[in-house]
Amino acid sequence: MIAYLRYLSERFVIFVATIFISITIVFFVPRLVPGHPLTAVFSRMAAAGGRVNAPQLIEEYNRLFGLDKSLWEQYVRFLRELARGNLGYSIGNFPAHVSDMLRSAVPWTIGLLTLTTLISWVLGSLIGAVVGWRGGKSRFIQALVPAALVLYTIPYYILAIILIFLFAFQWPIFPLSGAYSVGLRPELSLDFALDVLRHGTLPALSIILVSLGWWFLSMRSLITSLKGEDYILQAEAKGLSDRRILWGYAFRNALLPQATGLAISLGRIVGGALITEVIFAYPGLGWLIYNSITSIDFPVIQGGVLLIVFAVALANFVIDMAYPLIDPRIRYERAGRG
Amino acid sequence: MAEVRVEAQRGYAGELLHNRKFFIGTIIFLALLAAAVVGNFFVDPVQRRTGSFPARLPPGPGGLLGTDSLGRSVAIQMSEAVPNSLQVGLIAAFLGTLLGALIGFTSGYFGGVVDAVLRILIDVFLSVPSLVFLILIASLVRGLGVQTMALIIGAFAWPSPARQVRAQVLSLKERAFVQIARLSGMSGLEIIFRELMPHMLQWLGANFVNAFIAAILAESGLSLLGLGPQKEMTLGMMIYWALSFSAILQNLWWWWLTPILTLMCLFLSLYLVHLGFDEVSNPRLRSQV
Repeated sequence: MIAYLRYLSERFVIFVATIFISITIVFFVPRLVPGHPLTAVFSRMAAAGGRVNAPQLIEEYNRLFGLDKSLWEQYVRFLRELARGNLGYSIGNFPAHVSDMLRSAVPWTIGLLTLTTLISWVLGSLIGAVVGWRGGKSRFIQALVPAALVLYTIPYYILAIILIFLFAFQWPIFPLSGAYSVGLRPELSLDFALDVLRHGTLPALSIILVSLGWWFLSMRSLITSLKGEDYILQAEAKGLSDRRILWGYAFRNALLPQATGLAISLGRIVGGALITEVIFAYPGLGWLIYNSITSIDFPVIQGGVLLIVFAVALANFVIDMAYPLIDPRIRYERAGRG
Repeated sequence: MAEVRVEAQRGYAGELLHNRKFFIGTIIFLALLAAAVVGNFFVDPVQRRTGSFPARLPPGPGGLLGTDSLGRSVAIQMSEAVPNSLQVGLIAAFLGTLLGALIGFTSGYFGGVVDAVLRILIDVFLSVPSLVFLILIASLVRGLGVQTMALIIGAFAWPSPARQVRAQVLSLKERAFVQIARLSGMSGLEIIFRELMPHMLQWLGANFVNAFIAAILAESGLSLLGLGPQKEMTLGMMIYWALSFSAILQNLWWWWLTPILTLMCLFLSLYLVHLGFDEVSNPRLRSQV
């Protein structure tokens, strides 16, 4: 118990340090870069045809963003506002709060990624278990491993482009982009749900196919390594059916490490497929960040970055906390020996 | 038994070359590199300009691989993009592995408070996806060149080598030959370079390839987000331009497919090299994948 508490406090230090260091980087990097922090704002205004040189305007903006204070005061203020969940205003859509923009984007990302992660995990684990157990008897199964390897080395977004070409251009079965048809209002109806499903198919497929390769390979090697274990041999000696040994003995024991992998990827969901979203114009966090990059809307980029960091750090902490409770074999020095 | 002895005689490099995955991966990689380098000899700089060729030409005789909608040859763009992308990978992987090795060595070898602080740092940066910080920095410093981009990517590539070097140093430190070296009066630096380094080098090779893959991935990711080098061509930027001129909808498949296939070959070859390194330095893995 004491060992667990010591381990826990160490992981908590890492959790707090991750958030603190990230916030500090997010605060100082923009201020280290040469040029006025609001240059982007002014160039936008100039591009929009406004007069930028009005000194009162610059002064007013400086006051609004707290730039007339010392760096230290600004930092403290930044931390205080963050603790209250205030991420400031968007420059691109000025009166809009960054936190509101994030709030409307995140559900799309979480929805898409949770679903695809679970589907590919279940499929990949099942196929991997069967192939690992039976070994490479047929040609087809022997071809699966290199195929999975190729899939797994491809980045998501490359597959996304190929899928768009095939199923949105060559054979226009699925829509090119977006999460629902233009003109449709998000509501709880069957029509809308079907529309969302149709729009989500290609982005989902691109993510599923790539991560499928990974889950398949890892489950396969887990099962292969379990084959010679004593309890498997004993089960065979008892005369249990092959199927029962695979699902009741080998698969169940391989499930724990495989589930850890799942937990880790679920923790990375928020920042998981930024670029896939860009390619499909899928209105999640990645698309929001991309749009903020093109419109030089720094507060939104900063908010998105902080949100991803926070989500990942929290997920890691929860996993670290739960893992020793689930798997008693783990030693508490996992982090130390790393 | 006989086979084991043969392997022992071959030495590390020889064994690498006899590894099928390493060999095939290296061949694909060198072929890509050679195509780009040789291609560059035949390119007249004037031909790089937009409008040098008729626009939207499908691939055909003349070796242009088709042209984009601005009248640039895809092949000529590739001869610039491949070396640039490889350069990003090389610089970033070198910087990342070097920083990681330094931090990992310091942390593992000296221990104590230094280790405690560095370990927290390593864990922190390992848990945050580095693309996030890259997005932050690149969106502030617009118009990055290829080399600056490589340096920034490399500056965030150290955590994973650092963690592994630290673990290696911790386990090597207690081995008999290091103890003996210490007892015979070797200095700390001498032990690091003469006793520990040789053991780390083969392992660093695999790690370098890993960092190389990650860096090219980061480059293409940043480029697709619109944060890549605007004035130079990389594989990521080629895809970015193709997509922003909607090459897919205009059915200019050669424009987007060429860089995509090249990237896939590149990743596959590097991954094979990585597997080869792994198998040779860790023989237990050999029969598995």
